[in-house]
Amino acid sequence: MGSIVLVMRLVLADVRRHQVQAVMLLLAVTVATATMALGLSLRGVSDALYEQTRAATAGPDVVAVSGDTGPGVTSALASLAKDPEVVAHHGPYRIVYANLTTRDSTSSPVVVHGFAETPGTVNRPLVTSGHWVRPGGAVVERGFATALGVGVGDRVTIAGRSYPVVGIAVTAATSIYPWAAQIGPGGGPSDYTGLAWMTTSDARTLASSQDLPVTSALDLKLRDPAATEAFREAHRGSTIRINFHSWQFKAVQDMVILRNSQPILVIGSWLLSFLAITGVAALAAGRAVEQTRRAGLLKAVGATPGLIATVLLTEYLALALAGDALGLVIARLTAPAIASPTASRIGDAAGLTGATVAAATVLAVAVAVLSTLRPTLRAVRTATVTALTATAHQPRHRPWLTALSALLPTPLLLGLRLTARRPGRAVLQACSTATTVIAIITLLALYAQPERGYGLHGSSALPNLRGEHDRRLMLAVTILLITLAVVNTITFTWTTAIEARANMAIARTLGATPGQISAGLSAAQLLPALPGAIVGIPMGIAVFWIFGARNATAPPFSWMSGAALAILLATAALTALPARLAARRPVAQALSAETA
Amino acid sequence: MNVSSAAVRACGLVKTHGQGQSRVRAVDEVDLEVPQGQMLAVMGPSGCGKSTLLHLLGGLERATGGEVWVAGRRIDTLSERALARLRRRSVGFVFQAFHLVEELSAAENVELAALLAGRSRRQARRRAGLLLERVGLADRARHLPSQLSGGQRQRVAIARALVNEPLVVLADEPTGNLDTAGTLDVLRIFEELRSAGQTLLIVTHDERVAATADRLISMRDGMFVDDTRLAGAHPRGLGGLIGLEG
Repeated sequence: MGSIVLVMRLVLADVRRHQVQAVMLLLAVTVATATMALGLSLRGVSDALYEQTRAATAGPDVVAVSGDTGPGVTSALASLAKDPEVVAHHGPYRIVYANLTTRDSTSSPVVVHGFAETPGTVNRPLVTSGHWVRPGGAVVERGFATALGVGVGDRVTIAGRSYPVVGIAVTAATSIYPWAAQIGPGGGPSDYTGLAWMTTSDARTLASSQDLPVTSALDLKLRDPAATEAFREAHRGSTIRINFHSWQFKAVQDMVILRNSQPILVIGSWLLSFLAITGVAALAAGRAVEQTRRAGLLKAVGATPGLIATVLLTEYLALALAGDALGLVIARLTAPAIASPTASRIGDAAGLTGATVAAATVLAVAVAVLSTLRPTLRAVRTATVTALTATAHQPRHRPWLTALSALLPTPLLLGLRLTARRPGRAVLQACSTATTVIAIITLLALYAQPERGYGLHGSSALPNLRGEHDRRLMLAVTILLITLAVVNTITFTWTTAIEARANMAIARTLGATPGQISAGLSAAQLLPALPGAIVGIPMGIAVFWIFGARNATAPPFSWMSGAALAILLATAALTALPARLAARRPVAQALSAETA
Repeated sequence: MNVSSAAVRACGLVKTHGQGQSRVRAVDEVDLEVPQGQMLAVMGPSGCGKSTLLHLLGGLERATGGEVWVAGRRIDTLSERALARLRRRSVGFVFQAFHLVEELSAAENVELAALLAGRSRRQARRRAGLLLERVGLADRARHLPSQLSGGQRQRVAIARALVNEPLVVLADEPTGNLDTAGTLDVLRIFEELRSAGQTLLIVTHDERVAATADRLISMRDGMFVDDTRLAGAHPRGLGGLIGLEG
């Protein structure tokens, strides 16, 4: 008990002394775990929203749709309702294919379902505003209405006939907007389509007035809702072509709009984790000497290596776990919005699954342990007296690099020699830059893709929700990555400046100006950032080709090279401030600190 | 003595540290003129302001008051950039802790100062070779500081201080970390420099080192309490003077 109290007191004292680092670790782990948890939970959340919509709307287990029309089709559909496995049904009802135009001239294909004024026991669309269909009025599916920007009281024109919107509703009987048409006219392929309901007689009048294509559908409730496949197999031999759409199929269809979201979030979380590890590792390395001295002090007063390792690791682990908890809460709160980019479903997301929580926690622990294990082990293994007098890491002598740098102007000479002092950190800086470039190239690639809008004939008057959702997610992940990369760059520069302050002070006594020192520190970050930016371009293209569509096109080279150049300029700008601050430290003070 | 003939000149020089009750005058109204070619030693107890004075004269610290002139140019009003340029051309530093770059060899440490002063790599290398030979370390040019003794390191530091042919060399406790042999090596070099007309200002605790100077100033509580002209190099040589020869 005493040891636990001691560990907690030491950890709290250290966190209080290094609040900025604590906040940085917390934020890095939070964004990484939130992104991963979101990516892993999308499927579950999407399923949960479908389930809740299905329960609220008495969603059918199977929807039987035929592209043909006529008495034979009606009779064939009606005979399905007599199957002993069917416990309830709705229909057959008419599906009319038309075009819908709003008051502001936005047009879209629409399927109009002809429904009774009083819904039956199966497929009872849930009216979320207004009221259910009445003669002369149309109800618009909520996802479609949101995309169109129409509400109750607006008027829409369907196949040239004007209708007031009397209600907005959701249903689990069709896929989410824009996949409401389950089959196209005549059983052929369907375009991006919204859904509206009218009374049965209005739908009939609409179809006959313009000679519009019509199909028929029947909603079925089975004795065993899970036995949809068996039901379909049992009715495979029918002479009339009938498509069976099970509720499981619709749940899977809901994920189509999220097809790219999952890789964006999961791969994004890996990249964020990588940046978190590099940033925290740089921080831990910067504090390595201090931690070793602290370990020596603890050893000198009788602490065991185990206790010291516990103290050093507990701080990072506790912060990482706090970040993990915060990330999971954020994921839980934002999941419904991200998993349901249309308004076609209702309900709340279920809690995160145990597997998702475990994966995010493993990630958080990995970030903490991977970034701090090495300095912790070094601190624990160093002999007490050596630890008490620990000095900064002594770099290796690199004669060829020293000779090469002698040919360069002073800022590059200093920058190259600073880079060579910590090759591992230079690699991390290069990887950090490459990661940012990968994210930006992927984002640019998403923006470069030609895209069909959901409007009539692919018009972009109704934007492609999937593309927009992908871009929004990618933008969010990219912003998070850039934020971590910015923090990392500042950390790298500051840590480099702190570690090299003695050498920089010597250079100052020898006549290097503060500007040259500052430029040298910036150059030390830019030199590894340059290859990182160059390598990041093909890697970004590769990531997009691996996870993007087969016919995806790469963004123009000018965009990619411009992005890489912008990142390098941003790196130079970001390093300028810490470098300038470090270069302003009085020389005599720096030299005295070194000999103290 | 007029201003132009003095290598270094300070007038009413003040440096304070801290604020309020804890305010300390590290250098208190000091006036000083060091003619070109003079070897000046400054002695005094720890904390009397010797090192601060040296830093002020070399432009490493900013004075709170007064004036500092180096090579006929007032430097206490210069920007950091201009001070850095002045150090390249006119001032060489030697420190007690050597302050060599640990990952650079002896020759590379000396070359660094020349490169920072804008010399070409070839010129820097030639100058470094000449100076290491002059301080007796030609055979140690490729050694890292960690492979050299204290005396050898300080000789490298002196070579580095001289590489840009400065007007004045400021040495802060140059023998403070050295054993007897190392001290003798360093003093021999200083004596050679003095003979060659190099202006030297040495802050030291060691009376034996001070005894080799042309002039000795004693400091206490930031002020000069004594200023004595000495005979300079001892006729029996340095070893005889400081009791290092048998």
